[in-house]
Amino acid sequence: MSTNERIIEARELTKTFSGGVVALDRFTLAVRRGEVVVIIGPSGSGKSTFLRCLNGLEEIDSGSIVIDGIPLDRHRKNRLLIRREVGMVFQSFNLFPHMTARENIDLAQIRVRKKTRTGAAETTMNLLAKVGITEKADRYPHELSGGQQQRVAIARALAMSPKVMLFDEATSALDPEMIGEVLDVMRTLAAEGMTMVIVTHEMGFAREAGDRIVFMESGRIVEEGDAERFFAFPREERTRAFLGQIL
Amino acid sequence: MTKTKIRFIPLDAVLIVLILAAGTYLVRRIGVEMDYHWQWPVILQYLVRTDGGSWAAGSLTQGFLTTIKLSLWATFLATFFGTIMGLMRVSHSLFHRLIAGSYVELVRNLPPLILVFIVYFFIGERIMTVFGVENFIRSASPETQSMLTAIFAPPARLSGFFAGLATLVLYEAAYITEIVRAGIQSIEKGQWEAAHALGLSRGQQLRDVILPQALRRILPALAGQIISTIKDSAIVSVISIPELTFQGLELMSATYLTFEVWITITALYFILTFSFSLGVRRLETAWQK
Repeated sequence: MSTNERIIEARELTKTFSGGVVALDRFTLAVRRGEVVVIIGPSGSGKSTFLRCLNGLEEIDSGSIVIDGIPLDRHRKNRLLIRREVGMVFQSFNLFPHMTARENIDLAQIRVRKKTRTGAAETTMNLLAKVGITEKADRYPHELSGGQQQRVAIARALAMSPKVMLFDEATSALDPEMIGEVLDVMRTLAAEGMTMVIVTHEMGFAREAGDRIVFMESGRIVEEGDAERFFAFPREERTRAFLGQIL
Repeated sequence: MTKTKIRFIPLDAVLIVLILAAGTYLVRRIGVEMDYHWQWPVILQYLVRTDGGSWAAGSLTQGFLTTIKLSLWATFLATFFGTIMGLMRVSHSLFHRLIAGSYVELVRNLPPLILVFIVYFFIGERIMTVFGVENFIRSASPETQSMLTAIFAPPARLSGFFAGLATLVLYEAAYITEIVRAGIQSIEKGQWEAAHALGLSRGQQLRDVILPQALRRILPALAGQIISTIKDSAIVSVISIPELTFQGLELMSATYLTFEVWITITALYFILTFSFSLGVRRLETAWQK
Protein backbone atom coordinates (compact mmCIF):
# COMPACT_ATOMS: atom_id res chain seq x y z
CA MET A 1 0.00 0.00 0.00
CA SER A 2 2.77 2.44 0.83
CA THR A 3 4.87 4.28 -1.71
CA ASN A 4 8.46 5.35 -1.43
CA GLU A 5 7.57 8.98 -0.99
CA ARG A 6 8.27 10.17 2.55
CA ILE A 7 5.37 12.07 4.08
CA ILE A 8 6.88 12.45 7.54
CA GLU A 9 10.55 13.14 8.05
CA ALA A 10 11.70 13.62 11.61
CA ARG A 11 15.45 14.09 12.04
CA GLU A 12 17.52 14.14 15.18
CA LEU A 13 14.69 15.26 17.45
CA THR A 14 15.60 16.10 21.01
CA LYS A 15 13.21 17.11 23.72
CA THR A 16 13.95 17.49 27.42
CA PHE A 17 11.16 18.38 29.82
CA SER A 18 11.69 21.05 32.44
CA GLY A 19 12.15 18.39 35.14
CA GLY A 20 15.21 17.08 33.26
CA VAL A 21 13.41 14.05 31.82
CA VAL A 22 14.74 13.26 28.36
CA ALA A 23 11.73 12.38 26.18
CA LEU A 24 13.43 12.36 22.78
CA ASP A 25 17.13 11.78 22.26
CA ARG A 26 18.28 12.36 18.68
CA PHE A 27 15.23 10.51 17.45
CA THR A 28 15.01 10.01 13.69
CA LEU A 29 12.08 8.44 11.87
CA ALA A 30 10.65 8.67 8.36
CA VAL A 31 7.19 7.50 7.39
CA ARG A 32 6.19 6.77 3.81
CA ARG A 33 2.86 7.79 2.35
CA GLY A 34 0.25 5.14 3.13
CA GLU A 35 2.43 3.41 5.70
CA VAL A 36 1.13 2.30 9.10
CA VAL A 37 3.85 2.71 11.71
CA VAL A 38 3.20 1.38 15.20
CA ILE A 39 5.34 2.72 18.01
CA ILE A 40 5.63 0.56 21.11
CA GLY A 41 7.70 0.80 24.24
CA PRO A 42 7.51 1.13 28.01
CA SER A 43 5.74 4.14 29.50
CA GLY A 44 7.89 7.25 29.60
CA SER A 45 9.87 6.13 26.58
CA GLY A 46 8.86 9.22 24.56
CA LYS A 47 6.27 7.62 22.24
CA SER A 48 3.50 10.11 22.99
CA THR A 49 5.92 13.01 23.04
CA PHE A 50 7.01 12.12 19.52
CA LEU A 51 3.39 12.14 18.28
CA ARG A 52 2.70 15.42 20.05
CA CYS A 53 5.76 17.01 18.45
CA LEU A 54 4.53 16.02 15.00
CA ASN A 55 1.58 18.42 15.15
CA GLY A 56 3.17 21.08 17.30
CA LEU A 57 1.47 20.22 20.61
CA GLU A 58 4.98 20.03 22.06
CA GLU A 59 8.00 22.04 20.98
CA ILE A 60 11.16 20.18 20.05
CA ASP A 61 14.42 21.48 21.46
CA SER A 62 16.38 20.67 18.32
CA GLY A 63 16.09 18.67 15.14
CA SER A 64 13.72 19.06 12.20
CA ILE A 65 10.28 17.85 11.23
CA VAL A 66 8.98 18.02 7.67
CA ILE A 67 5.44 16.86 6.90
CA ASP A 68 4.34 16.55 3.29
CA GLY A 69 7.06 19.00 2.29
CA ILE A 70 6.12 21.60 4.89
CA PRO A 71 8.75 22.25 7.58
CA LEU A 72 7.39 22.54 11.11
CA ASP A 73 9.36 25.65 11.97
CA ARG A 74 8.75 28.94 13.69
CA HIS A 75 6.51 30.25 10.91
CA ARG A 76 2.96 30.38 12.17
CA LYS A 77 1.60 29.76 8.71
CA ASN A 78 3.50 26.49 8.34
CA ARG A 79 2.50 25.36 11.82
CA LEU A 80 -1.16 26.03 11.06
CA LEU A 81 -0.91 24.20 7.72
CA ILE A 82 0.58 21.15 9.42
CA ARG A 83 -2.07 21.13 12.16
CA ARG A 84 -4.69 21.07 9.43
CA GLU A 85 -3.11 18.19 7.56
CA VAL A 86 -2.35 16.02 10.59
CA GLY A 87 -5.28 14.49 12.47
CA MET A 88 -4.91 13.32 16.03
CA VAL A 89 -6.86 10.92 18.24
CA PHE A 90 -6.26 11.15 21.98
CA GLN A 91 -6.35 8.60 24.76
CA SER A 92 -9.02 10.63 26.60
CA PHE A 93 -11.14 11.29 23.45
CA ASN A 94 -11.36 15.04 24.20
CA LEU A 95 -14.69 15.47 22.47
CA PHE A 96 -16.22 18.90 23.00
CA PRO A 97 -18.84 18.18 25.68
CA HIS A 98 -21.12 21.10 24.79
CA MET A 99 -21.60 19.87 21.22
CA THR A 100 -23.42 16.85 19.84
CA ALA A 101 -21.49 14.19 17.93
CA ARG A 102 -22.57 15.86 14.69
CA GLU A 103 -21.50 19.33 15.84
CA ASN A 104 -18.13 18.00 17.01
CA ILE A 105 -17.48 16.69 13.51
CA ASP A 106 -18.92 19.77 11.77
CA LEU A 107 -16.88 22.34 13.67
CA ALA A 108 -13.49 22.19 11.96
CA GLN A 109 -15.03 21.69 8.52
CA ILE A 110 -16.97 24.92 8.90
CA ARG A 111 -14.36 26.97 10.77
CA VAL A 112 -11.15 25.76 9.16
CA ARG A 113 -12.17 24.34 5.79
CA LYS A 114 -14.78 27.09 5.40
CA LYS A 115 -17.46 24.67 4.24
CA THR A 116 -21.12 25.58 4.34
CA ARG A 117 -23.30 23.98 6.97
CA THR A 118 -24.96 21.71 4.40
CA GLY A 119 -21.63 20.80 2.81
CA ALA A 120 -20.26 19.85 6.21
CA ALA A 121 -23.42 17.91 7.10
CA GLU A 122 -22.95 15.52 4.20
CA THR A 123 -19.33 14.74 5.08
CA THR A 124 -20.30 14.36 8.72
CA MET A 125 -23.03 11.82 8.00
CA ASN A 126 -20.67 9.85 5.74
CA LEU A 127 -18.05 9.79 8.48
CA LEU A 128 -20.56 8.77 11.13
CA ALA A 129 -21.63 5.93 8.85
CA LYS A 130 -18.00 4.97 8.39
CA VAL A 131 -17.41 4.67 12.14
CA GLY A 132 -20.80 3.01 12.52
CA ILE A 133 -22.76 5.37 14.77
CA THR A 134 -25.14 7.23 12.48
CA GLU A 135 -27.97 6.79 14.98
CA LYS A 136 -26.06 8.70 17.68
CA ALA A 137 -25.49 11.81 15.55
CA ASP A 138 -27.48 14.10 17.83
CA ARG A 139 -26.27 12.72 21.13
CA TYR A 140 -23.93 14.59 23.42
CA PRO A 141 -20.59 12.96 24.33
CA HIS A 142 -21.72 12.15 27.89
CA GLU A 143 -24.58 10.11 26.42
CA LEU A 144 -22.17 7.87 24.50
CA SER A 145 -20.06 4.94 25.64
CA GLY A 146 -16.27 5.26 25.63
CA GLY A 147 -15.97 3.29 22.42
CA GLN A 148 -18.60 5.42 20.72
CA GLN A 149 -16.92 8.60 21.91
CA GLN A 150 -13.59 7.48 20.54
CA ARG A 151 -15.19 6.61 17.21
CA VAL A 152 -16.73 10.08 17.04
CA ALA A 153 -13.28 11.50 17.85
CA ILE A 154 -11.81 9.55 14.94
CA ALA A 155 -14.55 10.83 12.65
CA ARG A 156 -13.89 14.37 13.89
CA ALA A 157 -10.20 14.08 12.97
CA LEU A 158 -11.05 12.55 9.59
CA ALA A 159 -13.42 15.40 8.80
CA MET A 160 -10.39 17.57 8.05
CA SER A 161 -9.34 15.03 5.37
CA PRO A 162 -5.91 14.80 6.97
CA LYS A 163 -2.90 13.40 5.15
CA VAL A 164 -1.63 11.74 8.29
CA MET A 165 -3.46 10.36 11.33
CA LEU A 166 -1.82 10.11 14.75
CA PHE A 167 -3.28 7.77 17.39
CA ASP A 168 -2.04 8.38 20.91
CA GLU A 169 -3.01 5.28 22.90
CA ALA A 170 -6.49 5.53 21.42
CA THR A 171 -7.75 2.40 23.19
CA SER A 172 -5.99 2.69 26.55
CA ALA A 173 -8.87 4.42 28.33
CA LEU A 174 -11.50 2.00 27.04
CA ASP A 175 -13.22 -0.92 28.74
CA PRO A 176 -11.96 -4.18 27.22
CA GLU A 177 -15.21 -4.94 25.39
CA MET A 178 -15.04 -1.62 23.54
CA ILE A 179 -11.46 -1.85 22.33
CA GLY A 180 -12.45 -4.02 19.39
CA GLU A 181 -14.88 -1.56 17.85
CA VAL A 182 -12.26 1.21 17.84
CA LEU A 183 -9.53 -1.06 16.46
CA ASP A 184 -11.93 -2.13 13.69
CA VAL A 185 -12.27 1.48 12.57
CA MET A 186 -8.50 1.90 12.64
CA ARG A 187 -8.05 -1.29 10.63
CA THR A 188 -10.46 0.00 7.98
CA LEU A 189 -8.51 3.24 7.75
CA ALA A 190 -5.24 1.37 7.37
CA ALA A 191 -6.74 -0.78 4.61
CA GLU A 192 -7.88 2.37 2.80
CA GLY A 193 -4.29 3.55 2.61
CA MET A 194 -4.31 6.25 5.31
CA THR A 195 -0.85 7.13 6.60
CA MET A 196 -0.97 6.36 10.31
CA VAL A 197 1.40 6.64 13.24
CA ILE A 198 0.00 4.66 16.14
CA VAL A 199 1.14 4.48 19.74
CA THR A 200 -0.50 1.47 21.33
CA HIS A 201 -0.17 -1.39 23.78
CA GLU A 202 -2.33 -3.68 21.63
CA MET A 203 0.35 -6.02 20.28
CA GLY A 204 -2.07 -8.23 18.36
CA PHE A 205 -3.35 -5.19 16.52
CA ALA A 206 0.19 -3.89 15.94
CA ARG A 207 1.25 -7.14 14.37
CA GLU A 208 -1.77 -7.46 12.17
CA ALA A 209 -2.38 -3.85 11.07
CA GLY A 210 1.10 -2.36 11.27
CA ASP A 211 3.47 -2.25 8.31
CA ARG A 212 6.40 -1.36 10.51
CA ILE A 213 7.01 -1.57 14.25
CA VAL A 214 9.24 0.86 16.11
CA PHE A 215 10.34 -0.08 19.61
CA MET A 216 11.38 2.97 21.66
CA GLU A 217 13.04 3.38 24.99
CA SER A 218 14.45 6.51 26.68
CA GLY A 219 13.71 8.65 23.64
CA ARG A 220 15.63 6.42 21.23
CA ILE A 221 14.77 3.69 18.76
CA VAL A 222 15.94 0.36 20.12
CA GLU A 223 14.74 -1.69 17.17
CA GLU A 224 12.49 -1.26 14.17
CA GLY A 225 11.36 -3.52 11.42
CA ASP A 226 8.65 -5.12 9.36
CA ALA A 227 5.75 -6.15 11.63
CA GLU A 228 5.89 -9.90 10.97
CA ARG A 229 9.66 -10.09 11.33
CA PHE A 230 9.68 -7.84 14.40
CA PHE A 231 7.38 -10.03 16.46
CA ALA A 232 8.64 -13.36 15.15
CA PHE A 233 12.37 -12.64 15.37
CA PRO A 234 13.17 -9.66 17.57
CA ARG A 235 16.88 -8.94 17.28
CA GLU A 236 17.64 -6.93 20.39
CA GLU A 237 17.79 -8.43 23.85
CA ARG A 238 15.83 -5.44 25.22
CA THR A 239 13.05 -5.97 22.67
CA ARG A 240 12.73 -9.62 23.60
CA ALA A 241 12.54 -8.73 27.29
CA PHE A 242 9.81 -6.13 26.61
CA LEU A 243 7.77 -8.42 24.39
CA GLY A 244 8.19 -11.23 26.90
CA GLN A 245 6.70 -9.00 29.60
CA ILE A 246 3.61 -7.92 27.74
CA LEU A 247 2.75 -10.79 25.43
CA MET B 1 -32.62 15.80 39.62
CA THR B 2 -35.07 14.35 42.13
CA LYS B 3 -37.38 16.76 43.85
CA THR B 4 -38.10 16.28 47.52
CA LYS B 5 -41.78 16.63 48.17
CA ILE B 6 -42.60 19.48 50.51
CA ARG B 7 -45.29 18.64 53.06
CA PHE B 8 -46.96 21.02 55.42
CA ILE B 9 -46.93 19.58 58.95
CA PRO B 10 -48.39 20.95 62.22
CA LEU B 11 -44.93 22.06 63.34
CA ASP B 12 -44.77 24.44 60.37
CA ALA B 13 -48.02 26.08 61.44
CA VAL B 14 -46.69 26.53 64.98
CA LEU B 15 -43.47 28.06 63.66
CA ILE B 16 -45.29 30.49 61.37
CA VAL B 17 -47.48 31.67 64.24
CA LEU B 18 -44.42 32.13 66.45
CA ILE B 19 -42.54 34.14 63.80
CA LEU B 20 -45.57 36.38 63.19
CA ALA B 21 -46.01 36.89 66.95
CA ALA B 22 -42.33 37.81 67.37
CA GLY B 23 -42.55 40.29 64.49
CA THR B 24 -45.69 41.92 65.85
CA TYR B 25 -44.16 42.13 69.31
CA LEU B 26 -41.04 43.82 67.93
CA VAL B 27 -43.04 46.40 65.99
CA ARG B 28 -45.25 47.15 69.03
CA ARG B 29 -42.25 47.48 71.33
CA ILE B 30 -40.69 50.00 68.96
CA GLY B 31 -43.97 51.95 69.05
CA VAL B 32 -44.37 51.77 72.84
CA GLU B 33 -40.79 51.88 74.20
CA MET B 34 -39.28 54.31 71.70
CA ASP B 35 -42.46 56.24 71.28
CA TYR B 36 -42.15 55.75 67.51
CA HIS B 37 -45.12 56.66 65.37
CA TRP B 38 -45.30 54.60 62.25
CA GLN B 39 -46.26 56.76 59.30
CA TRP B 40 -46.33 54.46 56.32
CA PRO B 41 -48.73 56.57 54.22
CA VAL B 42 -46.06 59.31 54.10
CA ILE B 43 -43.65 56.90 52.37
CA LEU B 44 -46.28 56.12 49.78
CA GLN B 45 -46.19 59.64 48.35
CA TYR B 46 -42.44 59.34 47.81
CA LEU B 47 -43.05 56.22 45.78
CA VAL B 48 -45.94 57.53 43.69
CA ARG B 49 -47.23 61.07 43.79
CA THR B 50 -50.13 62.69 42.05
CA ASP B 51 -48.91 65.53 39.93
CA GLY B 52 -51.96 67.67 39.25
CA GLY B 53 -54.22 64.74 38.43
CA SER B 54 -51.64 62.56 36.68
CA TRP B 55 -49.41 59.98 38.37
CA ALA B 56 -45.68 60.59 38.64
CA ALA B 57 -42.75 58.71 40.11
CA GLY B 58 -41.81 59.85 43.60
CA SER B 59 -38.21 60.45 44.62
CA LEU B 60 -37.74 56.89 45.89
CA THR B 61 -39.04 55.40 42.67
CA GLN B 62 -36.81 57.73 40.68
CA GLY B 63 -33.87 56.60 42.78
CA PHE B 64 -34.89 53.00 42.21
CA LEU B 65 -34.96 53.58 38.44
CA THR B 66 -31.55 55.26 38.56
CA THR B 67 -30.17 52.29 40.47
CA ILE B 68 -31.59 49.94 37.84
CA LYS B 69 -30.10 51.99 34.99
CA LEU B 70 -26.76 52.22 36.75
CA SER B 71 -26.71 48.49 37.52
CA LEU B 72 -27.72 47.45 34.02
CA TRP B 73 -25.05 49.55 32.33
CA ALA B 74 -22.43 48.60 34.90
CA THR B 75 -23.23 44.89 34.57
CA PHE B 76 -23.15 45.01 30.80
CA LEU B 77 -19.95 47.02 30.52
CA ALA B 78 -18.16 45.27 33.40
CA THR B 79 -18.92 41.84 31.92
CA PHE B 80 -17.62 42.98 28.56
CA PHE B 81 -14.51 44.66 29.95
CA GLY B 82 -13.91 41.89 32.49
CA THR B 83 -14.09 39.21 29.78
CA ILE B 84 -11.51 41.03 27.67
CA MET B 85 -9.23 41.45 30.68
CA GLY B 86 -9.81 37.81 31.68
CA LEU B 87 -8.72 36.72 28.19
CA MET B 88 -5.65 38.90 28.52
CA ARG B 89 -4.88 37.23 31.86
CA VAL B 90 -4.48 33.88 30.06
CA SER B 91 -2.89 35.29 26.93
CA HIS B 92 0.36 33.89 25.55
CA SER B 93 1.71 37.43 25.47
CA LEU B 94 3.50 38.53 28.64
CA PHE B 95 2.59 42.13 27.82
CA HIS B 96 -1.14 41.36 27.89
CA ARG B 97 -0.81 39.34 31.08
CA LEU B 98 1.05 42.18 32.77
CA ILE B 99 -1.54 44.78 31.80
CA ALA B 100 -4.47 42.69 33.01
CA GLY B 101 -2.62 41.52 36.11
CA SER B 102 -1.67 45.04 37.16
CA TYR B 103 -5.21 46.23 36.58
CA VAL B 104 -6.71 43.52 38.77
CA GLU B 105 -4.24 43.97 41.59
CA LEU B 106 -4.51 47.74 41.55
CA VAL B 107 -8.29 47.91 41.57
CA ARG B 108 -8.96 45.02 43.92
CA ASN B 109 -6.64 46.43 46.53
CA LEU B 110 -8.32 49.85 46.70
CA PRO B 111 -11.44 50.61 48.73
CA PRO B 112 -14.26 51.26 46.25
CA LEU B 113 -15.09 54.47 48.09
CA ILE B 114 -11.63 55.86 47.29
CA LEU B 115 -12.03 54.72 43.71
CA VAL B 116 -15.25 56.74 43.41
CA PHE B 117 -13.50 59.90 44.54
CA ILE B 118 -10.50 59.31 42.29
CA VAL B 119 -12.68 58.79 39.25
CA TYR B 120 -15.06 61.62 40.10
CA PHE B 121 -12.60 64.38 41.02
CA PHE B 122 -9.51 63.51 39.01
CA ILE B 123 -10.89 61.83 35.95
CA GLY B 124 -14.59 62.70 35.74
CA GLU B 125 -14.47 66.45 36.16
CA ARG B 126 -11.25 67.05 34.22
CA ILE B 127 -11.55 64.64 31.33
CA MET B 128 -15.22 65.30 30.69
CA THR B 129 -14.38 68.99 30.36
CA VAL B 130 -11.33 68.40 28.19
CA PHE B 131 -13.30 66.35 25.72
CA GLY B 132 -16.14 68.85 25.76
CA VAL B 133 -18.72 66.26 26.76
CA GLU B 134 -20.87 68.79 28.59
CA ASN B 135 -20.80 71.28 25.74
CA PHE B 136 -21.75 68.56 23.34
CA ILE B 137 -24.73 67.58 25.45
CA ARG B 138 -25.85 71.19 25.91
CA SER B 139 -25.78 71.82 22.19
CA ALA B 140 -27.42 68.51 21.34
CA SER B 141 -30.93 68.39 19.92
CA PRO B 142 -33.87 67.93 22.33
CA GLU B 143 -34.44 64.42 20.97
CA THR B 144 -30.87 63.42 21.75
CA GLN B 145 -31.16 64.98 25.17
CA SER B 146 -34.36 63.14 26.04
CA MET B 147 -32.86 59.90 24.75
CA LEU B 148 -29.78 60.39 26.93
CA THR B 149 -32.09 61.11 29.88
CA ALA B 150 -34.01 57.92 29.26
CA ILE B 151 -31.01 55.59 29.02
CA PHE B 152 -28.55 57.38 31.33
CA ALA B 153 -29.45 60.49 33.31
CA PRO B 154 -30.69 64.07 32.74
CA PRO B 155 -28.11 66.25 30.91
CA ALA B 156 -27.17 68.23 34.02
CA ARG B 157 -26.31 65.05 35.92
CA LEU B 158 -24.70 63.17 33.06
CA SER B 159 -21.04 63.71 33.96
CA GLY B 160 -21.68 62.57 37.53
CA PHE B 161 -23.57 59.53 36.26
CA PHE B 162 -20.74 58.61 33.93
CA ALA B 163 -18.15 59.00 36.69
CA GLY B 164 -20.19 56.73 38.95
CA LEU B 165 -20.74 54.26 36.16
CA ALA B 166 -17.03 54.25 35.27
CA THR B 167 -16.14 53.53 38.89
CA LEU B 168 -18.55 50.63 39.13
CA VAL B 169 -17.37 49.16 35.84
CA LEU B 170 -13.72 49.54 36.81
CA TYR B 171 -14.31 47.98 40.21
CA GLU B 172 -16.59 45.07 39.27
CA ALA B 173 -14.71 44.21 36.07
CA ALA B 174 -11.61 43.44 38.15
CA TYR B 175 -13.51 40.66 39.90
CA ILE B 176 -15.12 39.49 36.67
CA THR B 177 -11.62 39.33 35.15
CA GLU B 178 -10.61 36.84 37.81
CA ILE B 179 -13.82 34.85 37.43
CA VAL B 180 -13.31 34.61 33.67
CA ARG B 181 -9.66 33.67 34.11
CA ALA B 182 -10.53 30.92 36.60
CA GLY B 183 -13.26 29.66 34.26
CA ILE B 184 -10.92 29.43 31.29
CA GLN B 185 -8.21 27.77 33.35
CA SER B 186 -10.68 25.21 34.68
CA ILE B 187 -11.18 23.75 31.20
CA GLU B 188 -9.17 20.55 30.72
CA LYS B 189 -5.95 20.83 28.72
CA GLY B 190 -7.26 18.12 26.37
CA GLN B 191 -9.95 20.48 25.08
CA TRP B 192 -7.32 23.00 23.96
CA GLU B 193 -5.25 20.20 22.46
CA ALA B 194 -8.14 18.68 20.52
CA ALA B 195 -9.08 22.10 19.13
CA HIS B 196 -5.44 22.77 18.32
CA ALA B 197 -5.05 19.43 16.53
CA LEU B 198 -8.10 20.22 14.39
CA GLY B 199 -6.33 23.31 13.07
CA LEU B 200 -8.51 25.91 14.80
CA SER B 201 -6.82 29.26 15.38
CA ARG B 202 -6.42 30.44 18.97
CA GLY B 203 -9.37 32.79 18.57
CA GLN B 204 -11.53 29.95 17.25
CA GLN B 205 -10.37 27.65 20.04
CA LEU B 206 -11.51 30.21 22.57
CA ARG B 207 -14.76 31.17 20.90
CA ASP B 208 -16.01 27.74 19.84
CA VAL B 209 -14.53 25.38 22.40
CA ILE B 210 -13.25 27.02 25.58
CA LEU B 211 -15.53 29.98 26.30
CA PRO B 212 -18.88 28.19 25.82
CA GLN B 213 -17.79 25.61 28.41
CA ALA B 214 -16.20 28.18 30.71
CA LEU B 215 -19.32 30.35 30.67
CA ARG B 216 -21.47 27.53 32.01
CA ARG B 217 -19.03 26.91 34.81
CA ILE B 218 -18.67 30.54 35.85
CA LEU B 219 -22.34 31.43 35.65
CA PRO B 220 -22.98 31.09 39.43
CA ALA B 221 -19.89 33.16 40.30
CA LEU B 222 -20.75 35.71 37.62
CA ALA B 223 -24.30 36.02 38.93
CA GLY B 224 -22.95 36.64 42.42
CA GLN B 225 -20.72 39.38 41.07
CA ILE B 226 -23.60 41.00 39.21
CA ILE B 227 -25.67 41.02 42.39
CA SER B 228 -22.68 42.64 44.06
CA THR B 229 -22.71 45.26 41.31
CA ILE B 230 -26.32 46.12 42.11
CA LYS B 231 -25.49 46.38 45.81
CA ASP B 232 -22.23 48.26 45.27
CA SER B 233 -24.04 50.85 43.18
CA ALA B 234 -24.98 52.37 46.55
CA ILE B 235 -21.46 53.76 46.95
CA VAL B 236 -21.93 56.28 44.16
CA SER B 237 -24.38 58.09 46.46
CA VAL B 238 -21.28 59.84 47.88
CA ILE B 239 -20.88 61.78 44.65
CA SER B 240 -24.55 62.83 44.75
CA ILE B 241 -25.90 60.55 42.08
CA PRO B 242 -29.59 60.38 42.94
CA GLU B 243 -29.85 56.61 43.11
CA LEU B 244 -31.81 54.68 45.70
CA THR B 245 -29.47 55.05 48.67
CA PHE B 246 -28.91 58.74 48.02
CA GLN B 247 -32.66 59.36 47.83
CA GLY B 248 -33.08 57.40 51.05
CA LEU B 249 -30.52 59.59 52.85
CA GLU B 250 -32.21 62.73 51.55
CA LEU B 251 -35.64 61.51 52.50
CA MET B 252 -34.53 60.51 55.97
CA SER B 253 -33.05 63.92 56.72
CA ALA B 254 -36.23 65.56 55.44
CA THR B 255 -38.79 63.36 57.21
CA TYR B 256 -36.91 61.58 60.03
CA LEU B 257 -38.91 58.45 59.17
CA THR B 258 -35.81 56.29 59.72
CA PHE B 259 -37.50 52.91 59.96
CA GLU B 260 -40.02 53.37 57.15
CA VAL B 261 -37.43 54.76 54.75
CA TRP B 262 -34.83 52.06 55.27
CA ILE B 263 -37.33 49.21 55.38
CA THR B 264 -38.69 50.43 52.03
CA ILE B 265 -35.20 50.73 50.57
CA THR B 266 -34.23 47.29 51.85
CA ALA B 267 -37.32 45.86 50.17
CA LEU B 268 -36.58 47.64 46.88
CA TYR B 269 -32.96 46.42 46.75
CA PHE B 270 -34.11 42.95 47.65
CA ILE B 271 -36.72 42.88 44.90
CA LEU B 272 -34.03 43.84 42.40
CA THR B 273 -31.36 41.36 43.49
CA PHE B 274 -33.69 38.49 44.30
CA SER B 275 -35.55 38.63 40.99
CA PHE B 276 -32.16 38.58 39.28
CA SER B 277 -31.10 35.53 41.32
CA LEU B 278 -34.28 33.73 40.33
CA GLY B 279 -33.64 34.54 36.68
CA VAL B 280 -30.11 33.14 36.85
CA ARG B 281 -31.33 30.00 38.64
CA ARG B 282 -33.75 29.35 35.80
CA LEU B 283 -30.98 29.89 33.25
CA GLU B 284 -28.75 27.44 35.09
CA THR B 285 -31.41 24.73 35.13
CA ALA B 286 -32.11 25.33 31.47
CA TRP B 287 -28.41 24.92 30.62
CA GLN B 288 -28.03 21.78 32.63
CA LYS B 289 -30.38 19.94 30.31
